[in-house]
Amino acid sequence: MLTYFVIIPILIATFLYLFSSEKAGKIIALTAQALLVIFAFYLFISTREYQAVTYIGNFYSVLGITLRADNLSAIFVLLTAFIFLVAAIYSYNEKNSRLFWFLLFIWEGALIGIFLTRDFFNIFVLIEVANVVVTIMIMYLRRNRSMYDGIIYLMANLVAIQFYLLGLGYVYRLTGVLDMDAARQAIALLPASELVLPYALIMTTVAFKCALMPLYSWLPKAHGTPGAPSAVSAILSGLHIKSGVYLFLRFQEVFGAVSTSDFFLAIGVVTGIVGVIMAISQTDMKLILAYSTIAQIGLIMIGFGLNTYYSHTGSLFHMINHALFKAALFLSAGIISHAYHTRDITEISGVLKRFPTVGAATILAILGIAGAPLFNGSISKYFMMSGVSLPLFIIMSFINLGTITICIKYASILFGRCELTEDVANIAKNQKVTVLVLGSMCFLGGILGTQFVEFLFGEPVGVDLFGYLEKVIAFAVSLVVGYFIFTRFVKRNPPILGRIRAIDLSFRGMCVCMGLFFAITLIATQWL
Amino acid sequence: MQIGVVELFSIALFFVSFFGLIVSKKAVKSIIFILIMQTAVVMFFLSIGYADGILPPIGERLENPQYAADPLPQALMLTAIIIAISVVAVNITMLMTLFRKYRTTDWDTLKNKSMR
Repeated sequence: MLTYFVIIPILIATFLYLFSSEKAGKIIALTAQALLVIFAFYLFISTREYQAVTYIGNFYSVLGITLRADNLSAIFVLLTAFIFLVAAIYSYNEKNSRLFWFLLFIWEGALIGIFLTRDFFNIFVLIEVANVVVTIMIMYLRRNRSMYDGIIYLMANLVAIQFYLLGLGYVYRLTGVLDMDAARQAIALLPASELVLPYALIMTTVAFKCALMPLYSWLPKAHGTPGAPSAVSAILSGLHIKSGVYLFLRFQEVFGAVSTSDFFLAIGVVTGIVGVIMAISQTDMKLILAYSTIAQIGLIMIGFGLNTYYSHTGSLFHMINHALFKAALFLSAGIISHAYHTRDITEISGVLKRFPTVGAATILAILGIAGAPLFNGSISKYFMMSGVSLPLFIIMSFINLGTITICIKYASILFGRCELTEDVANIAKNQKVTVLVLGSMCFLGGILGTQFVEFLFGEPVGVDLFGYLEKVIAFAVSLVVGYFIFTRFVKRNPPILGRIRAIDLSFRGMCVCMGLFFAITLIATQWL
Repeated sequence: MQIGVVELFSIALFFVSFFGLIVSKKAVKSIIFILIMQTAVVMFFLSIGYADGILPPIGERLENPQYAADPLPQALMLTAIIIAISVVAVNITMLMTLFRKYRTTDWDTLKNKSMR
């Protein structure tokens, strides 16, 4: 049954390649995609009771490829189907060629495949498929620098995946299986010293996919490139990066005792802090959002690194929340930059007055990402931060403060006088509705936060009212401090911000970072 | 786990070509080094199935399947090689487009000219 979740998107893709010029063709494809969301929801409900397993080729053992949906996989399959539905509705009226529609749904199939498969080699194949698709997608609009961005993305990913492949060979040599569950059992019996090298190799690729420090440099090129349609950026930042975090969770589980969570906690701290600083210094709308994704991934990594029940759940919930508000922000940024013909936030003002719906959706999403009380970000951040030690609490508060400053900077486009003199055609209704739906989901996820968490992960969590009030006060203080930082420092655009903006690794620099990360992981796994 | 000569050599080749990626200034050389990296990985995989006195898993000499080499690494590597060929083909096509536009394959020049 699970194979259909991969096959249906590919069938939709083929169908759209033939009929995307017809209106009826698109409607049929969107209906099929909506049905896929319902199936994914059904799958999710059923995995709360038992795991769904499909053996491809009917090899009922570890020899064949196994697709397995547990609760975690099912949540991500549901999220994937939903975000792709939203992205498809968003780009319904845009004049996209049939190549766009074809690749969009092939991409969905590859992502769902990554979330479902339990075979090491299958993951490699699907990641390569996704790489090529993403490369073409981010060059789709053919801007001046598109080709450079695309080639950097493709080549860096090609190098990174070689590490995974070598690590995979090593695991196969040691255990003789490619199935994750069987490998986990076999690895538990092996001495730790033999597993350090494959662990470091595989984790280098996974960290590259998650854009952890110092392997972040491809992300702003891919997520913030002017050549990508905004639906593509939304999927990349909202969803595609989560496949890396998902693989991180899976491989941590597979390597069991060998895996180190303290190391990734430290990396998460560095990623969060650097991501926040980089994001504050940007002035391009899409780049602000791209770097803020890095910071949020850092926060998520801290949550997983802490490895307590609450922080783990909080991080999972934050991944879902991040998908929602980042998708909303990227889609609305696409509408705004299309109307204003610029992506520089210093040149945009008065969005709220000119485009009230888009402005409202942006506000909802911004409040979500900043962790304002009653919004979804506050719930997940509350869980992540509950019970952390004091130094870590200060670090996480600092990252939060940075996020709030980014949000204030980003929100400056909403207010002020609208200098848009020329008569802009009205925004298409489907685009308005999609951003508004995503924005209001951020709000709903906040009000019904605990119920959502219980529904998604099946285990009850409680929000302590007193603790939550503490967070509300912390948010208010951060808001004031963040506003102060913004007006006194960021708004004046001091030269240091320009210097941070200019940091841009070349391909060779990325390779150096990859080698560095591999060496550090090797040493850290050996010693911790 | 016993590490044989072939494994050692392939891991060494992997990291030597990775070092080559770091030092090569031209994009064409980078692509060649990526190909060498892939070759190293393929060699590592093929060494998995090998042991003394073992026979290929196909052909007439194979009477007792007990002495057959593990066929799975070969099958995996066929897939990996095909994927590598197609991805590198895409890569080279993109590089050709960049070269036609800027008349160079130097990484730094490409970066400066594209970002302008």
